[in-house]
Amino acid sequence: MIAVSYPLNKILTGLARAHLTREKLSDAELAGHDLSDAERSALLAGDIRRLYDLGANPYLIRRVFRPRFPI
Amino acid sequence: MAEIVAAALAAHAPLITGKPEIARPEQRERLYAGFHEMRRRLAAARPDLLVMFVNDHLQNFPYSNLPAFCVGLVDAYDAPSPGGSTLMRIPPRKIPGAPTWGMALLEAGLAGGFDFAYSYEIESWDELSVPLHFLNPDGDIPVATVYTNCAAPPLPTLRRCHEMGAFVGRFARSHRGASRVAFVATGGISHWVGTPETGRINPEWDHWVIDHIERGDVEPLLRLTWDEIERDGGNGGQEIRNWVALMGAVPGWKGESLAYEPVPEWITGCGTVWVHA
Repeated sequence: MIAVSYPLNKILTGLARAHLTREKLSDAELAGHDLSDAERSALLAGDIRRLYDLGANPYLIRRVFRPRFPI
Repeated sequence: MAEIVAAALAAHAPLITGKPEIARPEQRERLYAGFHEMRRRLAAARPDLLVMFVNDHLQNFPYSNLPAFCVGLVDAYDAPSPGGSTLMRIPPRKIPGAPTWGMALLEAGLAGGFDFAYSYEIESWDELSVPLHFLNPDGDIPVATVYTNCAAPPLPTLRRCHEMGAFVGRFARSHRGASRVAFVATGGISHWVGTPETGRINPEWDHWVIDHIERGDVEPLLRLTWDEIERDGGNGGQEIRNWVALMGAVPGWKGESLAYEPVPEWITGCGTVWVHA
């Protein structure tokens, strides 16, 4: 089974479409989103590996957390 | 009735044009030479329509609505848009679409077993803008697009993509809306984007893909699973669905590699392959 998290991809899509890049997200940005505890902590930490494992789409991870990528 | 006058495969990546200076000059020049040779051959074939097998990168289709195959019915493509222009360093411009041809394909598909989605508004990124910068520099050849989901799994199987391409090929030959059709597919080859392995390239797998295209031996490609491509070609390698669709459109044709460069600075195994009868 391919891991897909709709809540993660929904919040990342909103940020990507607003052309916003982040090292990590804030509590305010997570407000109103139906996220698991693991998803919340990964977003707040900007933990791109964990986000990938939890089912965030890598193209969205790359766009939003661009400062996390050395290349 | 139309004649298929050309077919070509090319990688796409925003940095190919967006940051040429960061690549090693010899790699960049060999790859650009491949694009220029492709352009020369395409111009000599005098197509009146470019049918492009490409993919979205979630800029158009969000997780609330994800078509496996989508026909573009766009009047004119931003290739690139003013925003994309900054990233790709290509002046913003419009390239005419082919919505009437696309609508006919859509109707033929629905009648013939391919339930394409369709869209009147597509924001094109590097999947169109970068290859068209090289291949359609004057922007005077209309473009028809078929978007395949290569970015948000689960994805259509490669065999289904090949069948879809074969359908588009048969349609293109039989339809009167264009007389000289060229097929172009973009994407691949191996690259890891946004995953924990971002920046990895697998030249060995890229050569394996190109070798099979050159022999016209696509069956081993059609057997590839999502997991195998993810392992050997990365999430960006899933875009070879577009290449496979094109090979379906020109049965029996074979590839001729014009250039291949694994460019770490552009995080992409970059190939240009001419395909001929």
